[in-house]
Amino acid sequence: MPSLQPDEVIKKVQKGESLERADLRGVVLPRAVLDGVNLRRGELDGANLEAASLKRANLKNASLRETFLVGANLEDANLESADLEGCNLENANLRGANLGRANLEGANLMNANLSGARLAYAELQSANCGKTDFSHSILTHADLDECYLGGARLGEADLRNATLRGANLEEADFAKARLDHAEMGDANANLARFVSASMQQVNLSHSTLTGADFTDADARKINFTGARMQGAILTGAKLNGVVATDAEVAGITCEWIDASTEGDGSKPLRNAQIVALLSGKEVEEKAPTRPQGTRYFGKGDVLRNASLEFGGGASVEIESLFEHCSITIGTGTELVIGKHGVLAGCQIQGAGNITIHGHFFEGDSPGIVGPSQLVVSKGASLVGAIEQPESFTRFGFEPGCNLRVKIAKPGAQSSSSKGNGRRKK
Amino acid sequence: MAEVKGAASEKKTLIEEGTRFKGSLSSTCAVVVRGSIEGDVEAPALTVSPSGAVHGKVKVGDLRSEGEIAGEFDADSVLLSGAVKDNTVIKARSLEVKLQPASGKMQVVFGECAIDAGEPAGKEAAIAAATAGDKKASVPPEP
Repeated sequence: MPSLQPDEVIKKVQKGESLERADLRGVVLPRAVLDGVNLRRGELDGANLEAASLKRANLKNASLRETFLVGANLEDANLESADLEGCNLENANLRGANLGRANLEGANLMNANLSGARLAYAELQSANCGKTDFSHSILTHADLDECYLGGARLGEADLRNATLRGANLEEADFAKARLDHAEMGDANANLARFVSASMQQVNLSHSTLTGADFTDADARKINFTGARMQGAILTGAKLNGVVATDAEVAGITCEWIDASTEGDGSKPLRNAQIVALLSGKEVEEKAPTRPQGTRYFGKGDVLRNASLEFGGGASVEIESLFEHCSITIGTGTELVIGKHGVLAGCQIQGAGNITIHGHFFEGDSPGIVGPSQLVVSKGASLVGAIEQPESFTRFGFEPGCNLRVKIAKPGAQSSSSKGNGRRKK
Repeated sequence: MAEVKGAASEKKTLIEEGTRFKGSLSSTCAVVVRGSIEGDVEAPALTVSPSGAVHGKVKVGDLRSEGEIAGEFDADSVLLSGAVKDNTVIKARSLEVKLQPASGKMQVVFGECAIDAGEPAGKEAAIAAATAGDKKASVPPEP
């Protein structure tokens, strides 16, 4: 029996009296309004507080083991170091709550809203966090081993140094989350989204990552040892120092990755180079390691008034200055204007894939005709008109890119351009 | 049109699917369009859902579009997918279009449009930077 009856609790709260250290074990207070109550070090084990309102309540160091808090409103509540083991918080609102060092082992947080909550060093082992909203929350050093996070939303959450060993992360969304140094070995992350996440030195060894999306993730020094990665997407990921020994990489989608040490896009790799990197082979900086068929124009070189033609499937990288040049690229050709590359007064024609890390300024308009893919990275510039092919161009513009472009539909014959109207054949 | 509370509790103006709005819309809270707007929009943020369409003159802080847009768009930051129709002008401090895998659905289909985003390096400055190191003239490679 609790030391206070439910009506006594309500009266004390209404009078603004403190319930610090109160013994409320097993108390039944569904839908009670207890906003701002001071229950610091209170004992609420096994209590029924279904749909109760506990906004801004002080529950620091309180004991809430097996407490029934389904649908409760704990927005901005202080639950620091509280013991919530086995607690049922399904559909509860914990937005902005402080759960630092709280014990949530085996708790049910299904569909709960913890956006912006603070959970540093919290213990969530074997907790049920299916479809829980952890967006923008702080989970640094949190223990999420064997936790169920299926369909959970962790966008922009901070999970640095957290442990998620053996956790179920199926279809969880970690977009733009910070996961550096997280321990995620043996996790099941099928179809999880790590788009643009920061994942430096994360351990995902022996994890299942089928169909997981690592697009644009900063995964430098990530450990994929023995991971099952069939159908995973790695396009644009920063993978310098990746360890992927015995990883199963069949069917991965990876148009290019960045192998630069600084993760600044200065060392893009494609095709066989990516396979080599994931196989643990060193991909050297210098030209001799470039795959056969690669044409490289180094920094400091200047080409003027040249006409260049590259056949289908070729790989061309330009770190030089090209002025008034005409470049024709065949189907599937990869043309990369490197960080130091400048194409001024130039025109590119053909159904290849163009990636601009440097600068492109058109001469004759449209400056770019018929590309099947055009990517402009952060800090790069593109000034000119683009005429799309019949199948339309696949565009990728990174935030921070600089554009002054006119895009024309297939067959538009540069009708929208303001150039001199001439087209080079 | 209704004001709704989103996940983050901030108020949003919602043009629901099936609703067609014609005229000028000015709001101090974010606008979410699941239906269609034909006219001018001014708001701190505009989200066009996959079922949504906005045709007109738009001035917003953040623009996120997965639907159809046409007209003049002036925004601080833009995240685009969906369709950009003919005669569209987009001016933004920051623009993002995510590159989708070649096997996947096209992220954005652009009609005739003009995009003005970021601050392009001046042509002369870029040439000067490229030639700042050791210069050497090259000849075109053998065909």
